[in-house]
Amino acid sequence: MSRVQELIGRMLDGVRSGLRGRTPKVLLLLVPFLLHASDPDKDTTAIVQASYIYNIAKLVEWKDPAMKEGPFVIGVLGSANLYQELLKKYATRSIGKQPIEVLKLPRSADVGPCHILFVSPSELTLMPAILKKLAGRNTLLITEYPDALDDGSVVNFVRAQNTLKYELSLANARKHKLEVGLTLKQMAERVIE
Amino acid sequence: MNMARRSLLSLLLVLSVQLLLGQSDLLVNANTAYQEKDLATAKQLLDQAVKDPAFNKTSEAWVLRGFVYKDLYKADPTAAGADLLRDEALASLYMAMETDEAKQYTQNISLGYDYLTKTIFNDAARSLNQMDHDGAIRLYAKYKEMCLRMDPKSAFDARDIEFENALGTVYTKLFNQDRKDTTWYAKAVATYLRVLQRDPDNYGANYNLASLYYNRGVYNIQQISAENDIPSLREMQEVSREFFSLALPYMTKAHNMNPSRKETVLGLEGIHYSLQDVEKSEHYRHLYETLEQDGAPEQPRK
Repeated sequence: MSRVQELIGRMLDGVRSGLRGRTPKVLLLLVPFLLHASDPDKDTTAIVQASYIYNIAKLVEWKDPAMKEGPFVIGVLGSANLYQELLKKYATRSIGKQPIEVLKLPRSADVGPCHILFVSPSELTLMPAILKKLAGRNTLLITEYPDALDDGSVVNFVRAQNTLKYELSLANARKHKLEVGLTLKQMAERVIE
Repeated sequence: MNMARRSLLSLLLVLSVQLLLGQSDLLVNANTAYQEKDLATAKQLLDQAVKDPAFNKTSEAWVLRGFVYKDLYKADPTAAGADLLRDEALASLYMAMETDEAKQYTQNISLGYDYLTKTIFNDAARSLNQMDHDGAIRLYAKYKEMCLRMDPKSAFDARDIEFENALGTVYTKLFNQDRKDTTWYAKAVATYLRVLQRDPDNYGANYNLASLYYNRGVYNIQQISAENDIPSLREMQEVSREFFSLALPYMTKAHNMNPSRKETVLGLEGIHYSLQDVEKSEHYRHLYETLEQDGAPEQPRK
């Protein structure tokens, strides 16, 4: 072995230890944040329901003269996310000349005057008392449970083809002095005359 | 042989020996400079040496030059021109391997070369973390090229998957910054699908792709405003339904691979909820609550 080979061999042995065991950094697998249904901003059902409610408000006429004045009141019983969504996107809007007012109602059947009252499935135990309270009143009751139209609801949210739709009872609407527009009837999943 | 001819031969022999000794001194001096950490002098001597036909076929000059350039690079890897130093180091070490017929320096050359290729990979990773996707792609391609130059049989399956998964995540983050522009979304989807084509059981790609589709569907629903009438509301729901439906099989697969991981249980809850399947959504909600109560240890992700 030449002198040069010996020197370089010795030098390499010296630096070798500094090169061993160095493994590449592991790339960070950053998982995108998964949106969650319990977050009001990401509750897709609440967002769609709020839009339906706003559109329903535009497509129905409240016949009682007293309901044509003052704010247009949307009462929400249960469903905090729906309340938040209505407040966020629609509370600054008007129905005709009536500014929308969104109310989060306390858990009680003692409901004050509302143009629209939404009762969430979590409050079903209150339904018999609510139906009694609303009898003959010019209030559009919106629900979200099977056979609700049979119980007296005017609009009921239903699930069809993995989307949210609604069914409509014209008979119940008449009982509550509500004139339902043609578009609302045409777009319903089911209409009970 | 006459006297004159003998004299000439003797002279040439002496000159050759002197020349050889001089050349050897060049390497010895370079080695000394290197060991004394005088990298500039070592570099100068070795640049001179490898241009000399007497040296450019000897592995000693190349291996020494490779290590000098490696250390010059290592002194400040972020400096302007550091890449060129690393390139020179790699090229020199490759030449060293090619000329080391006696296989005297194989192990050291490999160690030095591997070290440098790993720094390229690390740079690619750093670029990804800095959201510089183009830079990362360029560096990763270079990393592979350098590995293949030294070992044409190098396998990259695992590395490719790791890199593509991280690249998909960068594209997803860019999409999340401006969801109106779907360029990054399309790139992210394509990237995760490429991973799944090679490795259908890749947990990260399944989960990430499902989340990407799901988030896109949610974002679409979030765009619903007071301007939407009922027909357009329905259309938007249908568009979102497609994204939720796309998400479902990937999230289900990720969940089946690691049933105790809470993130996929939450994911399935959200997807079924958005697909208006309350029963299944509640099933996963309860499962999530059970996992929370049990404090089930999560299995390591693949």
